[in-house]
Amino acid sequence: MASLKLSHIYKVYDNGHKAVNDFSIDIADQEFIVFVGPSGCGKSTTLRMIAGLETITAGDLFIGDTLVNDMEPKDRDIAMVFQSYALYPHMSVYENMAFGLRNRKMPENEIRERVEKAAKMLDIEDYLDRKPKEMSGGQRQRVALGRALVRDPKVFLLDEPLSNLDAKLRAAMRTEITALHKSLKTTFIYVTHDQVEAMTMGTRIVVMKLGYVQQIDTPMNLYNEPYNKFVAGFIGTPQMNFFDVTLKREGNEVVVHFTNGDTIILPYENVSKIHQRYLDGKTKVTFGIRPEHIDLDENERGLKIIVTNVERLGNETNVYGKLGDSLGEFTMKDEGNNIVVKVIDRDDIEIGDIVYAEPNPAKVHFFDAETEVTLMSRIPEFNTVSAEVSGGGMTVMGQAAALPPAFREALGENRQFELVIPPDAVIEGSDFSRKVAKVEKADDKNLAYLENGDQYLFALVGEGVKAGDDYHFSLRNEKLNLNAGGREVLHALDDEDFLTGTFSKTEVKEKGDRVLHFFYNIGDMKIEAQPEHGYKINAIDGDSCYKNSYRYGVPRDAVRIAGAGENGLAAKVVKILDYGDACFAKLDAEGQELLINVEKGFDRKQVRVTFDTEDISVYSTEIDMKLC
Amino acid sequence: MSTNPNVKKYRSQSRTRRVSLSVTYTILIVLGVIWLIPLVWIVLSAFRCEYQDDGTFIGRVTSNFFPKAFGLKNFTDLFTATYYGIPGAFPRWMLNTLIIAVIDCIISTFLVLSVAYCMSKLRFKLRKTFMNISMIIGLFPGFMSMIAIYFLLKSVGLTGNPSHPEYSVIGLILAYSAGAGLGFQVAKGFFDVIPNALVESAKLDGCTSFKIFRQIILPLAKPIIIYQALMSFTGPWMDFIFAKVIIGADNAKYWTVSVGLYSMLFGTHPDTNLFTQFAAGCVIVAIPIVTLFMFLQRYYVEGVTAGAVKG
Repeated sequence: MASLKLSHIYKVYDNGHKAVNDFSIDIADQEFIVFVGPSGCGKSTTLRMIAGLETITAGDLFIGDTLVNDMEPKDRDIAMVFQSYALYPHMSVYENMAFGLRNRKMPENEIRERVEKAAKMLDIEDYLDRKPKEMSGGQRQRVALGRALVRDPKVFLLDEPLSNLDAKLRAAMRTEITALHKSLKTTFIYVTHDQVEAMTMGTRIVVMKLGYVQQIDTPMNLYNEPYNKFVAGFIGTPQMNFFDVTLKREGNEVVVHFTNGDTIILPYENVSKIHQRYLDGKTKVTFGIRPEHIDLDENERGLKIIVTNVERLGNETNVYGKLGDSLGEFTMKDEGNNIVVKVIDRDDIEIGDIVYAEPNPAKVHFFDAETEVTLMSRIPEFNTVSAEVSGGGMTVMGQAAALPPAFREALGENRQFELVIPPDAVIEGSDFSRKVAKVEKADDKNLAYLENGDQYLFALVGEGVKAGDDYHFSLRNEKLNLNAGGREVLHALDDEDFLTGTFSKTEVKEKGDRVLHFFYNIGDMKIEAQPEHGYKINAIDGDSCYKNSYRYGVPRDAVRIAGAGENGLAAKVVKILDYGDACFAKLDAEGQELLINVEKGFDRKQVRVTFDTEDISVYSTEIDMKLC
Repeated sequence: MSTNPNVKKYRSQSRTRRVSLSVTYTILIVLGVIWLIPLVWIVLSAFRCEYQDDGTFIGRVTSNFFPKAFGLKNFTDLFTATYYGIPGAFPRWMLNTLIIAVIDCIISTFLVLSVAYCMSKLRFKLRKTFMNISMIIGLFPGFMSMIAIYFLLKSVGLTGNPSHPEYSVIGLILAYSAGAGLGFQVAKGFFDVIPNALVESAKLDGCTSFKIFRQIILPLAKPIIIYQALMSFTGPWMDFIFAKVIIGADNAKYWTVSVGLYSMLFGTHPDTNLFTQFAAGCVIVAIPIVTLFMFLQRYYVEGVTAGAVKG
């Protein structure tokens, strides 16, 4: 039994194909994690990297507390069940199950005990003398499970183990594997392309597409709060309906305009997390609604649909149709007006009927038309509030506040402006006060809906804040964007700056041993890298690492002014950014920009800065990949 | 009875089939006869046992295809006669050939299967380059390297060395088996069909690459082992060129059977009436190969067609 940690795992093949990109997950002991996604999404590659059957290009893989990147598969204490079962055809079932134990020189009586115990658990006791070819698919699958089971591994890896079985057997095996997980109390990682398996078996699911993780969440969160259109469409059968629409806020309602002119009306309360800029009646968004969240309305309200096909499944009926009242010419092309409705107890619907579909307002989804990311994320990305320069200060949300010099400079002549406020930039303080409308759990944080005129201001609050409270807060000015005159005049400060440099090593003799020291070279500065980072870069890029250039991610907290005689990077002070509570100096180090925290009144023109190297991240400049 | 005009006339399928089969079989029988004539002639010559009117044995080919008398004299002479001053030369040549073929068979089979396994199941740098090079080399006939091999072996004293003529046998075994690894393609085709998942599963079960080869791959590769062993055995058994070059003309004691038989016809032996004995030798030489193929034909076919269809 063990936990797993995958940290920024990449797999890049020799031909440059990136199969897995920046895969990070912490898997707790006894979790049942399912990797799901279409073919070529990198799910099996990730599993094979965990097994040790594929090398890891970059990133760290921990099983328990041990870094296993370079560990032989047999030493990782994992067991794997393959899609093709991979039973040795020339060995009996007993020999198949005992093979791994014999290789580990386990005493024969203990092997027999373990094999018999596993065989009993899997109900294959009577087949121990048979060869795999004399068994059915289901029995072979059990032998494959048994072979993994006898090893008593820390982690079970299962690579599409049920995809060779027929539908009935698959359903039965699904239940059995889930029960096995519960009884073994071991960590399971399961790969499948079947979303039903993922939803029914996993404690958490990793949805992948083209090598990128789309969302890691519990089955119900994936279903209810998909992060993007891909996840929304992948989870659920029949898949979610999608339509191009525009949204218009009208008082307490939001009108959804379909491209064919149809409209539906939703209460604002249901879509309050959507940013105001999407509610202008012009911006195109994607509307998503699951077939089971649409009612066929007897009173002819909602979307008018002409039925094109009816699938009667006995307990439920899938009604396929098109928006509008005409079938038009038959075409396989999706014209964006197809709709599926799942109904129960309706066997009176026929092809060609006109029906009216009313989406459940509490179950609607909206996605950005370009990025396809949800507009209703659990924690909204940012709030936008209007503000105004008044006197020497500013008025925000109807309250006067000090105008930071950085804002004043960015605004220039503009007096009206917008503040774009991420929820985590709202911190406890005394500058503003708002009534808390409600508080909900979002991931492991508390999201407060603060009343702010006709919209909400979203803030992450501590425990104890509850609906009805007056919440006193301030804003982290350096985390805000400023929009004025229809454009962004000031961008929030990132927590990390990127500098380009090279990588080098020197070899010195210490107590008779040859020891390598690695260095990051940025401009005229040469700072020693953490040895493990140096070896990692060398392992990934080989000796070409000493010729390549790299992007060094330097967190703001890791930058400091170099002490006298200390090795540092010479930089000119270009500008002082005064945000009121915090002050930063913008530096130019041989054409590269970076920021440093400074005290108010800082007036030096030239500085030498240095970095705490343990906090520096290294990225490849050739492909978008974090090396360490 | 009038014919229904609506029924379309069609050609009888069975009749078409009969005609086509008749033509096919006629061609095949003619080809078969042409192909068999030399064989029949050799076998008949081996058993030819004719005497002239004065009682002397006719050891030459006569104008008649079918012998007038049959007997085993050619065989008894073959096994008892002294050729090139060596009593019982033919059995000696047979033994030489058998030793060389068996040793080569063992070494070559191991090498071919090992290389095929590496190419099929292991991944390493320059693997594809090596496979391409080996394929290009394979396009050239083996005897192109003969002179080079001769001089290499000569430089280490493994050709017809007068003080140690027996070393030429070692030289010949080396010549046959050293390059065997390059002929891995057929075996690789067979190994490619064995699922990689088995290899990976064995890796997770704690096997080294060699153990996987020994315990997983080889037990599943019987047809290709037999195919490869047959190929490795018949190669030296029937080869003439390398044996002739490496052993040399003066070491009749260490000749292989093909060199010996050839010398019966075109050699410097004073007795020129050896054709029928040569024919008897040909029949004897063919017996082990025919027997092996008869018993192992099933595996041979499985081996030679391996990889053709994904199973």
